[in-house]
Amino acid sequence: MTAAELFHARVLEDGRQLRNRPLYAPWLDRGPSLAALEDVPLPEPRSYTWEYSNPNPWYERNASGSDHDGSTEGIAASRGVEVSDFDAAESRERDVIDANLNATIDRRRYPLAFVNDVLLHRGVVIEVPAGASGAEIELGPLGGDFERVLLVVGDGAEATLLERPASPAHRIVECLVGADASLRHTRLQSATDSLEYHLVSSRVSAGARYRFAQYAQGSTMRRNDIHIEAAGDGADIEIHGAWHLSGRQHLDTQINVHHSAGGGTSRQTVRGVVDDRAKAVFNGRIHIAPGAQRTDAALSAKHMLLAPAAQAYAKPELEIYANDVKCAHGATMGEIDSDALFYLRSRGIGEAIARDLLVAGFLEEALGDLHPGEARALLNVQARERLA
Amino acid sequence: MLEITDLHARAAGKPILKGIDLVVRPGEVHAIMGPNGSGKSTLANALAGRPDVEVTAGDMRLVGTSLIGLAPEERAHLGLFLAFQYPVEIPGVSNMEFLKAAVDSHNKALERDELSAASFVALVREAASRLHLAPEFLRRGVNAGFSGGEKKRNEILQMLLLEPRLAVLDETDSGLDIDALRTVASGVNAFASEANAVLLITHYQRLLDHITPDFVHVLLDGRIARTGDKSLAHALEADGYARLAESGT
Repeated sequence: MTAAELFHARVLEDGRQLRNRPLYAPWLDRGPSLAALEDVPLPEPRSYTWEYSNPNPWYERNASGSDHDGSTEGIAASRGVEVSDFDAAESRERDVIDANLNATIDRRRYPLAFVNDVLLHRGVVIEVPAGASGAEIELGPLGGDFERVLLVVGDGAEATLLERPASPAHRIVECLVGADASLRHTRLQSATDSLEYHLVSSRVSAGARYRFAQYAQGSTMRRNDIHIEAAGDGADIEIHGAWHLSGRQHLDTQINVHHSAGGGTSRQTVRGVVDDRAKAVFNGRIHIAPGAQRTDAALSAKHMLLAPAAQAYAKPELEIYANDVKCAHGATMGEIDSDALFYLRSRGIGEAIARDLLVAGFLEEALGDLHPGEARALLNVQARERLA
Repeated sequence: MLEITDLHARAAGKPILKGIDLVVRPGEVHAIMGPNGSGKSTLANALAGRPDVEVTAGDMRLVGTSLIGLAPEERAHLGLFLAFQYPVEIPGVSNMEFLKAAVDSHNKALERDELSAASFVALVREAASRLHLAPEFLRRGVNAGFSGGEKKRNEILQMLLLEPRLAVLDETDSGLDIDALRTVASGVNAFASEANAVLLITHYQRLLDHITPDFVHVLLDGRIARTGDKSLAHALEADGYARLAESGT
């Protein structure tokens, strides 16, 4: 048996036992997910999209049982935002969860989401009422290995979600952005020695705006799947990715922007810096479904390698099934620009500081206005004075 | 100030400088002219320590210290400044931040006190306004999306802030319209003093209508073929480099 198969069997076994006496949020019916999992294989090393990341250590780590740190804190939200733990959900919240949980996720494509359903340690549902403005939500560690966040932003509402560093084995964040709503979503991931698999799945309704930033250092193995759907006419999506890896860190980021409705726009800007023996994997996919006419999509992904043994694998992918669209993509891989380095040094700036400046400047291109201060601190680029 | 003796250098593995001798004293402005490929930019880059220019023989001394083997930043701290022919674009680093890093590095190397952020900003704004550069320009990425004239004015701004002993201007006039040329020239004239020196590298004499050199040197095939005063520049403009090459030295 492979590690994936052993883990799969363990999850099914646990799931069957839990089905009779679930410890957490017993009202949630794990049955359908458990049944689906019976015939869905889990990713194996080198299966599609797992060419450069080995999931086996993740399976082995999580097959030996789970750790809870016992905390149930980790969420701060501004007034007017409804936050409820799945375990404590009343009937109204249960209805919201039932109606929306997994609504955005194609779990056959992301089969580890079934595992999350079955082994769930902690889930929270966050609701921003329609028309609310200036809603702010901050997430810290939620205290489980298998975590679930369901954010429902009502029509016309405006909200900000900031995920502070946390290292569960598996967190799924699902965002439903209502019509004409606006969500800013920033995720910070600091360096750890853990094994992690995460999924962000967001659905953006007509006229809505979703801006998402993934700022990360690496871990022993960290995989981020990001699936964002422009589901309504004129949905506007902006994605920022910036990472700075060192040591033997591993970070695998797979972004899938799916345009299923027309007139949408999406912009992806990714900058990765890889040092030492670290490894960055990036896949940026733009899918334009039949009928998603007048879509305007662009992807720019650049990686900078700072050491001979540093590795980056970057692949842009386009799948276009509509004829009246604009779509642009570019991926580059390079080292520090020697002309720029000489230019800075000729101004008296020592080589080490000059390199830091160039790395910081490179990453800066991906920050935009989504929590740039937090991003700079996380990415270990100099605290930069804003002088002008 | 600057003494260059029998300097030989290769650029990209090819011998370009074949024995340059040049002495520049404090308070002097020297112009180096020459056709394309004569070695003008290689000389500028050899002085500044560009990694792909390899000095194979001879010496360059700035205020008595040999530049050979010094890192580019050490040469800058000694008082050398090179205004680039093609200033490099660095989009993610703001111009202000870059200028602050440059000035701070000089102050640190020379064991001078660091400027406060407020007095630094005031200093930069004052220098920028002299060069007709809007404050907005300081917030943008270094040279990113700047016009040719803005890039060259940005070089002069750096020169004014760093107050070098020797400023080497590599084709700073190229690509400038007449107004930008005047602005750049007045910046250089304001900078030049008895305490420093200027080496102007140029292809055309028009810059020399605005900045009067004490000496004009003509570089041909990696050597100084002729030295004179500013009338030499006018003679070159009239006759071209080919005539000079035929007549020999």
